[in-house]
Amino acid sequence: MANRFGLPNLGIGLGLRTVHYGHILENAPDVGWFEIISENYMQTAGKPLWFLDRVAERYPIVMHGVSLSIGSSDPLNWDYLRELKALRDRVGARWVSDHLCWTGIAGRNTHDLLPIPYTEEALAHVVSRVREVQDFLEAPLAIENPSTYVEFSGSTMKEWEFLRALTEEADCGILLDVNNVYVSAYNHGFDPDEYLAAIPYDRVVQLHVAGHTNNGTNIVDTHVGPVLDPVWRLLGLAHERAGGASILLEWDADIPPFPVAHAEAKKAERWITGVAP
Amino acid sequence: MIDRKPSPLVGGATEAFVHERASATPGNPVLEATSSADDAQAQPPLVASVDRLQSWFAASVTHPGLLSKGVLADGLLSRLDELERVVTRGPRLGALERLGVYHYGYRARLVECLADDYPAVQFALGDDAFEALCHAYVERYPSRSPSLNAYGQHMATLLATRAPAGDADAAPLAFLAELATLEWALVEVLHAAAAPVLSLETLQATPPDAWPAARLPRAETVRLLRFDYPVNAYFQAWRTDQAPAIPEPASSATVVYRHDLMLWRLDLTPAMTALLAGLFGGETLGDALTHIEREVHDADELAEAERSVMIWFREWVAGGVFAGIELPPSEGATEVN
Repeated sequence: MANRFGLPNLGIGLGLRTVHYGHILENAPDVGWFEIISENYMQTAGKPLWFLDRVAERYPIVMHGVSLSIGSSDPLNWDYLRELKALRDRVGARWVSDHLCWTGIAGRNTHDLLPIPYTEEALAHVVSRVREVQDFLEAPLAIENPSTYVEFSGSTMKEWEFLRALTEEADCGILLDVNNVYVSAYNHGFDPDEYLAAIPYDRVVQLHVAGHTNNGTNIVDTHVGPVLDPVWRLLGLAHERAGGASILLEWDADIPPFPVAHAEAKKAERWITGVAP
Repeated sequence: MIDRKPSPLVGGATEAFVHERASATPGNPVLEATSSADDAQAQPPLVASVDRLQSWFAASVTHPGLLSKGVLADGLLSRLDELERVVTRGPRLGALERLGVYHYGYRARLVECLADDYPAVQFALGDDAFEALCHAYVERYPSRSPSLNAYGQHMATLLATRAPAGDADAAPLAFLAELATLEWALVEVLHAAAAPVLSLETLQATPPDAWPAARLPRAETVRLLRFDYPVNAYFQAWRTDQAPAIPEPASSATVVYRHDLMLWRLDLTPAMTALLAGLFGGETLGDALTHIEREVHDADELAEAERSVMIWFREWVAGGVFAGIELPPSEGATEVN
């Protein structure tokens, strides 16, 4: 089963990071695609865009945002959306994603991915905003499940129920981050397999994996270090159920040389063919 | 000391100064487990709209003091023991500790961004004082932009207006404000749009009699900075791991520019500074040249300036410092790159 939007399976990709620009342009490594953090290429007309243009000439690009703030009770930021769309068109991004979260209120951006209360009121709000954004972008938006560290006492549904209802009612895609499922499951005490069982896989256009930091009392989604086996296992499950989907490794702290990050991403091959290392 | 050699590449390339935002969460301090959920007395959830909950959440996690005060700051809750009516405890941590991940992460992420933009200021201040400065920055300048690329733009203003702890701190603050100005200029130049610049060929093709009336505007990727301290000399010493001390006041000027994707810093003599400031201010070359005589009183320096001015121009043009050459309409030309 491929995704219902007809978006391509780009294989295994990596998050594009500044420290890797030189290696990528000099060595043209065999990577399926690159994902960019959209906002890193906004409010700039200079060097970052020059490198992005060169990378986009050689590789498929997908845009991953952190400031759409789809769950905020602030109005949508149309200046942001216009810049997002212009960037999408500039680099020919295959799709655009952002998080099931809000990042600020009253005009202040915390630059964090803050949790949403999973209520009917919030669902109706987010559904209408996703529809508005998709109408503007003239393309499906992929919504990612975030790592969360608290839950609201007033939530009336589980995150996976909210995500399923949102994506079906707004007719949008899912960027399923299996590391975030694992992190939130640990922090809130739910079963990650139960989460994965509830996902409408025909909407999954992309999968994320990453490393995390287990403090014993909680797990923080630091995107540091190698991906742990329980997270790879979830990737294998999700990939199989989705009938294949683009896979991306995020590595954002203590970023290693490109070949190390690339080798880590390619470990996914062992888990999606059903052969554990 | 100003490097009086007409070499354009004093200071070398600067490759850092890109802050990358990620969707990750900053690593948090390890938290001790608190009482288990079995001990909890069930409290009915507080009924509030999404808007109200978000206002409370934002006020809590951006509160500059203790989170236990932050959760009471906006009036949704009147007592800390009501917190679980809004957010739940988890299997290992209580509600306040769990919320603390966001409280810690908010400032940590922005401090990290400022540290990326101002590594030399961080070195000059030391880590603890720099972090305190950043906390003051975050409080005074909350982000209102989707991107963090311009977040650090107010650092020099904050330093220049920050009350010194005592008389002894006044000079370092003035120096630090200038150092922040240099570091922010590097960020601005990195993000500036590359546009066509004046070429050597065009310069050489311009007839000598057209020069006095010509204007040579600044390229977008260039900043001219004048300081009361030897800021670039300090920055260069820091870049080359010489652990410089805070310098005594001494006038200096530096031009920062991007060329072929590299960032450059060039120290200027007073004669160079007077000439470039006039040109960047929109004056004709003829008028700008008169500043040299007005502002440079040292006979040797004046003589060297007269000998070297053509060399300076060739080097500035090679570095892409001018956007083009503008000739008066009567000369039959307007703007040429």
